[in-house]
Amino acid sequence: MLANRLIFVGSVTNAMRGKKLLEEKHIRAFIQRATSPSAGDGCGYSLLVTEDAHRAEQILRDSGVRVIRTQDTL
Amino acid sequence: MVYWDNAATTWPKPAMVQQTVGQALRQYGANPGRSGHTMSLATAEAVYACRQAAATFFGLSDPTGVIFTPNCTASLNMVIRGVLEKGGRALTSDLEHNAVHRPVSAVAWGYDTAAWSPDEEETVENFHRAIRPDTRLLVCTHASNVFGVILPIRRLAKLAHDHGLLFCVDAAQTAGVLPIHMELDDIDYLCVAPHKGLYAPMGTGLLLCREREQVAPLVRGGTGSLSMQAEQPQELPDRLESGTPNTPGICGLRAGIDFVEGRGRQTIYTHEIRLLQRVYDGLCGHPGIQLYTPRPVEGNSAPVLAVNVEGVPSEVIAKMLDEHGIAVRAGLHCAPLAHRRFGTLEGGTVRLAPSAFSTMQEAEKIIEKFLQFAEKRLHISENMV
Repeated sequence: MLANRLIFVGSVTNAMRGKKLLEEKHIRAFIQRATSPSAGDGCGYSLLVTEDAHRAEQILRDSGVRVIRTQDTL
Repeated sequence: MVYWDNAATTWPKPAMVQQTVGQALRQYGANPGRSGHTMSLATAEAVYACRQAAATFFGLSDPTGVIFTPNCTASLNMVIRGVLEKGGRALTSDLEHNAVHRPVSAVAWGYDTAAWSPDEEETVENFHRAIRPDTRLLVCTHASNVFGVILPIRRLAKLAHDHGLLFCVDAAQTAGVLPIHMELDDIDYLCVAPHKGLYAPMGTGLLLCREREQVAPLVRGGTGSLSMQAEQPQELPDRLESGTPNTPGICGLRAGIDFVEGRGRQTIYTHEIRLLQRVYDGLCGHPGIQLYTPRPVEGNSAPVLAVNVEGVPSEVIAKMLDEHGIAVRAGLHCAPLAHRRFGTLEGGTVRLAPSAFSTMQEAEKIIEKFLQFAEKRLHISENMV
């Protein structure tokens, strides 16, 4: 099965910015609110990417979007 | 009604702004960035779209530097108090609105004032001379809200940065009217009154940040992020944007930006300056009419004109105009410094401020009324002698 990756970015603004940045690079991303956020996640907005997860994460980091943590999911 | 009080707030708002605000109340009713359900995310997306539009409009590469505030005064307070919280003096001009004058007056470390001059070189030199070793922030208006005269912000930005100061611009009268590019103009903080030149609803304000140093927040609270920690998040916009935002206003602001971009900022500005030139030409040289600035010229003036009828308090003129269906603002316009500079502190001035919707017919009506008042006044004066 394909592994999806949740990239936790904290705020909804970061999630919106990250989504736009990934879309510009032709990577689809979906904003999700974490169902079991960790202490550092706050309200826990994340980007769910289903392809090029490693590249997506790198794009976000290179653009200054704070990546709190990532989690692979089915 | 002939509404020439657009420097206070633009009216009417474009149909697309009115429609968008209504649509926002119907479609984007959830709290953005908080709840995470479908409507909440859709609302957050609408808010972010406005951040992007504002960033692009003002030449800011990172939309997270766009902060939504209640108004331009709040934006200025956030910068002045946030930057100078731990020390340092402010440096400002002698044309400032109370939105700058009062916050800098309250700074514990003090502030200095540099005189504006019609000679740009002299203005820059006046600022240069006023810098002290402990000056930390240069904050000034882009254009006088009373007389329309402009400060050379790009040169002042260079001066500030050459001396290690932060640079903040009060663009209340110029955002959406004059060209402003955060990066090309090298502005650290830009404070905007979107309900003026961007035709947004009242209750919207913008602070655009290119932070060299972090501004301490004045207001702390819920941001929908890092909720477990007691400290305010350090990232923008969350550091400076606590509490539920004005989503209908923000959506209206986005539509206002679209309106200005659709018509063309330069086209609107040219239209407004032409109207003021016509009024200026119609009044200049007539006995009893007082004008305080040279003829408005594109690039050298914001679209406001100060005028008086000799011997008549400005408030009386405004009342008489109101009786003829003409809405203007008279008095001090919350800018006593500028009135002191131009010698009008005693009685204030009448301010004429057209918008994209103003017409040449309205300009002619205003000229006609001013000339009538002036003639009437002269007649009364002659009879008294």
